[in-house]
Amino acid sequence: MNDETPLGTFEEQVMLAVLRTAGDAYGMVIRREIEEVTGREIAVGAVYATLDRLEAKKLVASRRGDVDGMSRRLFAVLPAGARALAESKAMRERLWRGVDLRGLLGATT
Amino acid sequence: MLSLRLLRVLLPPAERDEILADLESEYRERRARNGRLASARWLWLQILGSGPALVRRTWWRGNSGFDSSSNSMNPGGPQMERWIVEARFALRRLRTRPTYTALSVLTLALGVGGMAAIAGIVRPLLVNPLPYPRDNQLAMFWAPGSWHSREFITLRPQWTGFAAVAAYRPEDVTVEVDGAPTKFVPGIASSTELFDVLGVQPRIGRGFQAGEDGQGAERVVILSDALWREMGADPSIVGKPLRLDGIPRTVIGIMPRGFWFPDPAARVWLADNLNPTGRSGIYSLVGRVAPGQSVSNMQPVIDRATQLLGSLYTYPPEWDRTKNARLTPLREHVMGGMRPALFATLAAMAVIMLIACANVAALMLGQVESRSSELALRSALGADRGRIVSQLVMESLVLGLVAGLVGTLFAVAGFKVLRGALPLGAWSVSPALDWTLFAAAMIVAIIASLAVALLPAYSVWRSDLRAQLSGTRAGGKLQRRGGLQVFVVVGEVAAAVLLACGAGLLMRSVTNLYSIKPGFDTHGVAVVDIATPNMRRLARREVLLSIVREISSLPGVKAAAVAQKLPLRGNGNSGGIVVPSAPAGVPSTTFFRVGSKDYFKALGIPLLSGRSFDGSERTDTANTELAIVINEALAKTYYPNINPIGQVTGGAFGMAERIVGVVGNVAEANLTDPSAPVRYYLTEQSPFALENQTLVIRTTRPQDAVSIIPSVRAAIAKAAPNVAIQEATTMQHVFDRAVGPARDVRTLLGMLTGLALLLGAIGIYGVIAQFVARRAVDWSIRVALGLAPSRVVSLVVGHGVWMIVVGIAVGVGAALTLGRFLSALLYGVTAADPIAIIGASIALLTIGIVAALIPAIRASRTDPALVLRKL
Repeated sequence: MNDETPLGTFEEQVMLAVLRTAGDAYGMVIRREIEEVTGREIAVGAVYATLDRLEAKKLVASRRGDVDGMSRRLFAVLPAGARALAESKAMRERLWRGVDLRGLLGATT
Repeated sequence: MLSLRLLRVLLPPAERDEILADLESEYRERRARNGRLASARWLWLQILGSGPALVRRTWWRGNSGFDSSSNSMNPGGPQMERWIVEARFALRRLRTRPTYTALSVLTLALGVGGMAAIAGIVRPLLVNPLPYPRDNQLAMFWAPGSWHSREFITLRPQWTGFAAVAAYRPEDVTVEVDGAPTKFVPGIASSTELFDVLGVQPRIGRGFQAGEDGQGAERVVILSDALWREMGADPSIVGKPLRLDGIPRTVIGIMPRGFWFPDPAARVWLADNLNPTGRSGIYSLVGRVAPGQSVSNMQPVIDRATQLLGSLYTYPPEWDRTKNARLTPLREHVMGGMRPALFATLAAMAVIMLIACANVAALMLGQVESRSSELALRSALGADRGRIVSQLVMESLVLGLVAGLVGTLFAVAGFKVLRGALPLGAWSVSPALDWTLFAAAMIVAIIASLAVALLPAYSVWRSDLRAQLSGTRAGGKLQRRGGLQVFVVVGEVAAAVLLACGAGLLMRSVTNLYSIKPGFDTHGVAVVDIATPNMRRLARREVLLSIVREISSLPGVKAAAVAQKLPLRGNGNSGGIVVPSAPAGVPSTTFFRVGSKDYFKALGIPLLSGRSFDGSERTDTANTELAIVINEALAKTYYPNINPIGQVTGGAFGMAERIVGVVGNVAEANLTDPSAPVRYYLTEQSPFALENQTLVIRTTRPQDAVSIIPSVRAAIAKAAPNVAIQEATTMQHVFDRAVGPARDVRTLLGMLTGLALLLGAIGIYGVIAQFVARRAVDWSIRVALGLAPSRVVSLVVGHGVWMIVVGIAVGVGAALTLGRFLSALLYGVTAADPIAIIGASIALLTIGIVAALIPAIRASRTDPALVLRKL
């Protein structure tokens, strides 16, 4: 696994959720955030496994911190992570450029 | 909660509690909101969804060594991760020591393969051998193969306490199917109760019905699944007639696949025609005790039966059916014969396995000792003993798993060898090669590798690692180490001696058997058994003689004859003899044999006096005098003082029998029987011709005995197309078979002993080599001070000899104790045979000294300056 590997969809979702819940981003909160936004049920184990992988890639960092009097493993996105997200977004936008779905989607839009 | 506990094992200790607490609190929330069922469903989905991801994470963490920085106060993953780390560590360490690894894996694999192979053979035979439900209710009656049909019919209503009792006898038949050559099929003729007794009913059709075994009943037959498939697997065969022995019988059923009785060779079951006055002792009785009864408490019923028999019939003392009446559990009856051979092989394999384990354990011990400073350093840095021991266990597990894979290959090869070599008879078909062999290999390998780790782990546990750290650079005799290794090697030598003694005993026994002169020349004789169904006596005689003529004219045939019974194949027929001049007390019957003119020539039985059959005998129907040849034993017993040639006797066929010659004795029923009086009649003259006959063909060149068989088959087909060939073999094979199971087991045990000696030698070599390495400084100082290198050799070898001698003493003690288990296979030697024991000891000592010499010589050649500089 090297830094050049583009982010996976789930990795991207997890990192965005970390950013959205900034401050007290721990596993369960991140999970709920993704569930609420995407409307999909997510297993907490998958979140933790992905967070581990992101930390090993040095895209996020983790530290111990207290939330509501309980010690939690709290996550924050590192600059490298931010760069990866930005790249991912830019890549997506490049791909979107010139794509017109209106014909395919028909009357609904 | 169970679900949370499941998840717990997959989580690293640092995060475990918070994650589980989060899950639990959300679960409570959901329960309050959505109810119990929905929340439980949610929780389980969480657990099941998390499982794969967490297993992947654990695997990845184990392989990459990643640990989160937030967990620095409480590092480490779940238990599984530690195993992965250790397995990787073990793999890495094993890769750096290829010799040690290869030696350990090979050694273990040999043991594992052998053990799995024998387990594959033994399991179907001993664990679950009989294809009958509740086979513990089944029993054989005493005196199998000698019951009369009238006795069975008399006793039939008397068997209280039995669910059913059946009589059966072997009845081999020829099957004629249109357009195919006549086929010989081994079978059973039985009373109608047989399948009720066995508790198995045909898969297609029906079993026998009461009355079908009566005189004049419609003749019916049940086929085995295999025979039915061979005949085209047509279910509509049921109800149709099939010609058996030339007589049409109605097929009424097909047995299920895998069913056999009384052995896997039998393929048809006929309803017998039980003769209420039949007096030939050919039946065996098998019964199933009633539910709630057991085989062991049927003695009162048996006693009543013998009383009834005693009151109805009078028995000669040697055939007294009322004596020794008892039931034998069917399983024991069926498997009893092969048990000694199977157990001998199983035990030998177990010993090999032990030796292999001991070898690897000794190697690992050596590794541990040579790593002692590394281990001490680890322990100084905080590794506890448990951690170091678990490394050792993991290393041996890795070795074991690899050995299990390699061992499976050995097991497949060994399985094939064993199945061919063990005296399984008709049962050689029942053990099949399947995945259980692989499972067995892996299970054995894992058990073995755990056993292997035991000693090194004990040694680490016991030792004071830190003291070693301080002492390690001193070398020399500072620590007395290697004690455990010596113990292992002594055990290994003892086990090898034990095996070698067993093999020696069997070798001696088989040599004794082979040195018995059977009285005929076994080399260069082909033997072909044929069946001549539905022929009248004279017609059969003509057919037999025409076959003999046809075969005699084949190129490469020196002499050919037909005979009713070959030597070494059972007792055969007996007939009355009247010799007025015979001494008092001689038996009133002798064996008689019927053979065609060149019988003696074909078998190489020497003529002692008079003449052999020469074709001058009268064969017309008006003939009233038979020419007979007697054997030496008959001449000595019945004509001790007169020349028997020209004497007339009789008593067998109601005709005068004139003795024309005397031939040498041959082994009659068994190789070890004392010689018995025998009369030989000429097939051409004989008033008696059995359906089953044997052709004996002596070839001009002894090595052609096998290669002549195809042309013999062709000659039979040409002379008599409706004669079925049962078995074609050689006289040497008949002789080998008579030598019996000890012969096969000897070959096996010989191979296994070779293996044990090899492993033992490897063990001794390894331990001595390590001993030498440990004392290198010691030797160097002494050599530097003037010790002659030859003294180094003798000191090292002396150390080895000491271990070997102790091992031999222990092994011989064990052999003396355990030898009696082999006694069923021994002939002419006792279990305490000095030659076998001394031979085994010398073999071990020699091999041991050679194994010790190699490192000893190497030690004597090391340059002391080089070793001492390293200090």
